[in-house]
Amino acid sequence: METNPRILLVDDEPAITGNLAPLLGRAGFEVAVAADGEEALLKIASFAPALIILDVMMPKLDGREVLRRLRRADNWTPVILLTQVGDSSERAMALQEGADDYLNKPFDPYELVARLRAVLRRASPGRPPLAAAQRLASGDLMLDRQSKRAHVSGKEVNLTPKALALLEYLITHPDELLTRDRLLDAVWGWGYPAGTRTVDTRVAELRRVLGDDATDPDYIETVPGQGYRFVGQVESAP
Amino acid sequence: MKIRWPWLAALLPAATGLLTAALVTTGQLENHSVYLAARLVFVAPLVGVLLTGVVFALLLLQRRTQQTIQRAVQDHQAAAAAERRRFLQRLDHELKNPLTAMRAGLANLAWLAPEETGREALNSVEAQTLRLSRLAADLRKLAELETRDLECAPVEMGSLLQEVLEVAQERPEASRRRLNLSLPQAPWPLPAVEGDQDLLFLAVHNLVDNALKFTAPGDTVEIRAFEDGARVVIEVADTGSGILDEEVPHIWDELYRGQGARGVPGSGLGLALVRAIAERHGGQVNLRSRSGEGSVFTLRLPLQ
Repeated sequence: METNPRILLVDDEPAITGNLAPLLGRAGFEVAVAADGEEALLKIASFAPALIILDVMMPKLDGREVLRRLRRADNWTPVILLTQVGDSSERAMALQEGADDYLNKPFDPYELVARLRAVLRRASPGRPPLAAAQRLASGDLMLDRQSKRAHVSGKEVNLTPKALALLEYLITHPDELLTRDRLLDAVWGWGYPAGTRTVDTRVAELRRVLGDDATDPDYIETVPGQGYRFVGQVESAP
Repeated sequence: MKIRWPWLAALLPAATGLLTAALVTTGQLENHSVYLAARLVFVAPLVGVLLTGVVFALLLLQRRTQQTIQRAVQDHQAAAAAERRRFLQRLDHELKNPLTAMRAGLANLAWLAPEETGREALNSVEAQTLRLSRLAADLRKLAELETRDLECAPVEMGSLLQEVLEVAQERPEASRRRLNLSLPQAPWPLPAVEGDQDLLFLAVHNLVDNALKFTAPGDTVEIRAFEDGARVVIEVADTGSGILDEEVPHIWDELYRGQGARGVPGSGLGLALVRAIAERHGGQVNLRSRSGEGSVFTLRLPLQ
């Protein structure tokens, strides 16, 4: 039998770690807890987790700085950030700094478990995650995340900023079922009634601009009644 | 205190006159008399112009005083609104961690208490926790609205309103109310508004959602829009219970819940969001209501 994946849970709020740790334990993970950034760095070295759940706002060393130090040291252990600040630029920054995913507090604990599993499935040990790549390619599509430009067969295509942000989230989470609510939360920063229609409108824009056929998609597949999935093979481009 | 030289200078002629009068009455200038004579053709216009000048000066002074007072009131209101929003942001922050812990704790409890009786209590607490989570999410929306960049592009208001109507029609309440949309076609359709499509959708959606919530079966909800040359005006009108006069000024405030809203689910942030969205677009919101007859919510958005 496979050993349980090791998870390091970092949050300065004992009520959160106290309740989340047993839940993660029951979900089949071996859990260690750290209460601040400095302790987190020590535990990462000694415990060698397969994944780190990292709160952003913490005393001493905040989550963002821990993540930066890890990546600078070429440590690509997958990280899920628990953001406190709901700002959309903060979220974009989280991905650019090499977080594999992020969740807004307060979140559904089972959603965290689902994300953990998805990130672990996607991760290839020791290699930078797709979320950290500057340029991503899938078939004829190329997305430059730094300059916020998308190309299809070498030709630049014109996308609204929201559609581009949506494409960025989809392409960095390939082969994962992304519900409309999750996309709203991740890209728009909030969920609201009837907001799911907003997602559909932008997906339609993406398909039109990328020339993707909804019935036989190269990129974005509709999962009926649930959401969307990026089906193209994604790799980081030079 | 700062010496106000212009005012002192203005007093000089009066001082000179008074001094002369004093010298005359104390007898020092007794034998001096000045006789002035002028032709009416010069005096009449001179007096007229002087009087007009005085009246003009008084009017100007009054207007400036009014402006100063108005500006002070506006500044005060803006400062109070900003303070309130900062408070709500802090509240949002303080809610997040306990709610995260509570949701994880409830998931643990659900695991530990499989019996039917415990399950019921647990579900009820879970529902309330979710409600608080939604409140925290709405507070975040509001806070973010203040700071985030608007993704501005021309928004076709006609199709946006059509879409809001379609979403509203999917709600169960809609089937038992007359819900209609009227858009101008002649001489031209509704022009596009420069704005953030998602936010404008949310604003109109909240107004219609509100109208559906506060009307009874058989009531009418009308969405109307027109253009007045400088703005697009969107009205959401209903034949619901209306809003009490004393509640009308507060209805846009964050977390305000009127008497009629008791027992109706909602966070008390829906209309505050509408106002915040309108203001970020340089627009305004307004409410006319008669208790017992219904309400008209108006959203005005400037054209370029």
